[in-house]
Amino acid sequence: MWEFLDAIENSGFSSYIRETPSVLGYSTVLALHTFGMAFLVGLSGVIALRVLGAVPQLPLAPLKALQPIIVAGFWLNAITGLILTSLAIHSLLTNWDFYVKLAAIAAAIVALQKMRHYAFGETTAPDDAPASPRARFWAGAMLLFWGIAVLGGRLTAYATNIRIETGRAVIVAVILLLVAARYVVRRVNRTSAANVDNVEARV
Amino acid sequence: MESFLRIWLEWPSVAAFIMKHTWAWPLGETFHFFGIILLVGGVGLFDLRLLGVAKGLPVKAVTRLLPWGVTGFVICVVTGLMFVTGTRANVPMSPYDVIRTNIWLQLKLAFIGLAGLNLGVFYVTGMNRAVDHLGPGEDAPVLAKVIAFASLFFWLGVIYFGRLIPERL
Repeated sequence: MWEFLDAIENSGFSSYIRETPSVLGYSTVLALHTFGMAFLVGLSGVIALRVLGAVPQLPLAPLKALQPIIVAGFWLNAITGLILTSLAIHSLLTNWDFYVKLAAIAAAIVALQKMRHYAFGETTAPDDAPASPRARFWAGAMLLFWGIAVLGGRLTAYATNIRIETGRAVIVAVILLLVAARYVVRRVNRTSAANVDNVEARV
Repeated sequence: MESFLRIWLEWPSVAAFIMKHTWAWPLGETFHFFGIILLVGGVGLFDLRLLGVAKGLPVKAVTRLLPWGVTGFVICVVTGLMFVTGTRANVPMSPYDVIRTNIWLQLKLAFIGLAGLNLGVFYVTGMNRAVDHLGPGEDAPVLAKVIAFASLFFWLGVIYFGRLIPERL
């Protein structure tokens, strides 16, 4: 098995991508991997924000149209991810952090599908209606798993003790930011609602 | 000017902090990526809507996502400044020399500037007002589409050149 994997790592294609001095090699594959992540996580994250009520003014149903770009982002990530794995297959497959990243991606995709099912399945609900508790649960789970996947991706190159320390630091930083974001979102939504009330009162 | 920038860009306290706390650099990298995701989710979706994707969304509602995109940009700027001012924690070069010699970093900064200029054009030409009341199914003016395409191009360019920076370190 390892001989086969080593053969892939040492193939002409992998060697070229890894060793070419051209910017069209490793760095470009890495950049495409980032593009895929940005569209996959960014746009599915927008749907999650709407489902969680952070952007209630955004109608839910039209967000369904983002699916082709989200799927394209996923495949771009999958293909470039396979190429990047083939460059260092031995070290990645013996790296526990890599498996955490893959498990988080799989869990995020399942959560995305579940969120879509519950959020877009309620066809009779008006566009500005709050999403169901199940849709909200899966939206939150998806954001959590994407966060773990991104963190896992960043930490594959680091030693275990640095990964653990960074994991702790990220958890603390995210909690602090979420508390701040919750406060800001509530204030903004309250101000928007007050403005709407004022306009209606004038009418 | 050169000596001013050499001193101003180099923050030994940041480099020392990064060297002392091994989690600081990967934490910055992780949040840089969270910032990119927020930027593409917020600003990217606005550009895509103007280009005709998800036309069922009223533009006014999509503008509600822009603060999330701006937050992402601010996170990227803060973490990016951490990378620049703390350069010496990773490479034996002054930040000034990195900026002066790294073509990819120069291009990244230039594309951030162009994205800002493009945003300025969006407001100066009145396109912000022209698209603000576009309802579901309505098309954006051609100039707004050109600006939206340029915005996506510049931001993806920023990400691309950012990924190339280590090639020259």
